Amino acid sequence: MPTKERSDDERERCVTGIDAIDHILNGGIPRGNTVLISGSVGTGKTSICVEFLIRGALNGENSLYLSVTEPTDKLLKNVIPFDFFDDRLAKQGKLQFIDLPRMYEKLGIDTEELDFDQTRLLAETIAGVVEEQKIRRLVVDSVTSVCYRIKDQERIRDFLLRLGTVLSAKGCTTLLVSEIRSSEEGYSRWGIEEAIADGVIVTGNLERRGDLLRTLQIVKMRGTTHSRAKYVLDLTTSGVLLVPLLKGGSVSGGG
Amino acid sequence: MRLKADQYFDTIQGMLDRFATKKDLEVVYVTSTIPSQSIIKALEVLEIPMDHIWFVDCISQIMMSQEKRHPHAIIVESPTMLENIMLKVEFLIRKHSDRRALVVLDSINSLAIHNNTKILSEFLHILVNNLRSRGAYTVIFSMQEYETDEIRNMLVLVSDESIELGT
Repeated sequence: MPTKERSDDERERCVTGIDAIDHILNGGIPRGNTVLISGSVGTGKTSICVEFLIRGALNGENSLYLSVTEPTDKLLKNVIPFDFFDDRLAKQGKLQFIDLPRMYEKLGIDTEELDFDQTRLLAETIAGVVEEQKIRRLVVDSVTSVCYRIKDQERIRDFLLRLGTVLSAKGCTTLLVSEIRSSEEGYSRWGIEEAIADGVIVTGNLERRGDLLRTLQIVKMRGTTHSRAKYVLDLTTSGVLLVPLLKGGSVSGGG
Repeated sequence: MRLKADQYFDTIQGMLDRFATKKDLEVVYVTSTIPSQSIIKALEVLEIPMDHIWFVDCISQIMMSQEKRHPHAIIVESPTMLENIMLKVEFLIRKHSDRRALVVLDSINSLAIHNNTKILSEFLHILVNNLRSRGAYTVIFSMQEYETDEIRNMLVLVSDESIELGT
């Protein structure tokens, strides 16, 4: 739970609209932060991100989902049918979906590995879209897949730093989805993503006496005090719900 | 609410009819004792309307019950998944936030079969206080025949009032 009351000199917040996350973060993500949302498959990363965007769009903030791994049509079919979703958000341009492979095509990027210039061009193009469309919330799903094409560690660092700096300056709050294996240490494939990000939210699976629980933990968030406890997560049509992980039993290990 | 085993069905019937039908409350009934479908069948026979009664059923899945699921029942895989019980209760209360809620926990004794006292106390403490802060009422069933000192202490800690039936 929050450990400190907010004072006037604290940073403006991007209220995610996911009540429990806003509560844990003492009012929301500090505006302009780039946050890594990291977890293995089936732990709820995409649902959290989609809800973050829909809630933003409903609140009048232009929101953009950059899909790398899955075509938008397929993504929308598979995502939870949220009660609060409103078709008009897309028609009004408040909620936009762009497939990154199409952006690659438009930019003439057809090589397997992005070189230095292509990496910069990609970062500038994303920043350009954010500027042009006055995007206040951005999701890149997943940054791991983007980095797979960049490959080189220096270029990954340059890409993430450049993107993070430009988006922050524009007041755009960004969620970067990081895909990790459940057995993996750290929160990202290359280790660079978590070091550069302003925040890290980890989703996972916790096995307890044969039960598999979905969990969420905020391990880092610059610009705010926050709880670092582990919570149990449920993905419902009313949105993402969280309750504290009970500690009374014999809980072993991570998740 | 402390009751004897032979008062069980009468108590359920009375609770649900009185609060969901006559008191305009949304009732969330958490069952870990018998499958929700058995209670629903009894309510149908008694012609008690189901409009404002919702079930969080933590026992059907573990019993591998093949019965058809009622649209007013949400399944929790096992009574050991206490956090998921809290999440489903939260979901139902949010979904029907236009009416005040009554949450019935049936029963502390059956939950105690599947969970140790420490985690069960923690669960009750968080659930009851959360519901209280939201203006919801909580009724916890306890079968007198199966009460232990630990269960009694647990109930004293979270309850405002203890009602003993049949005395």
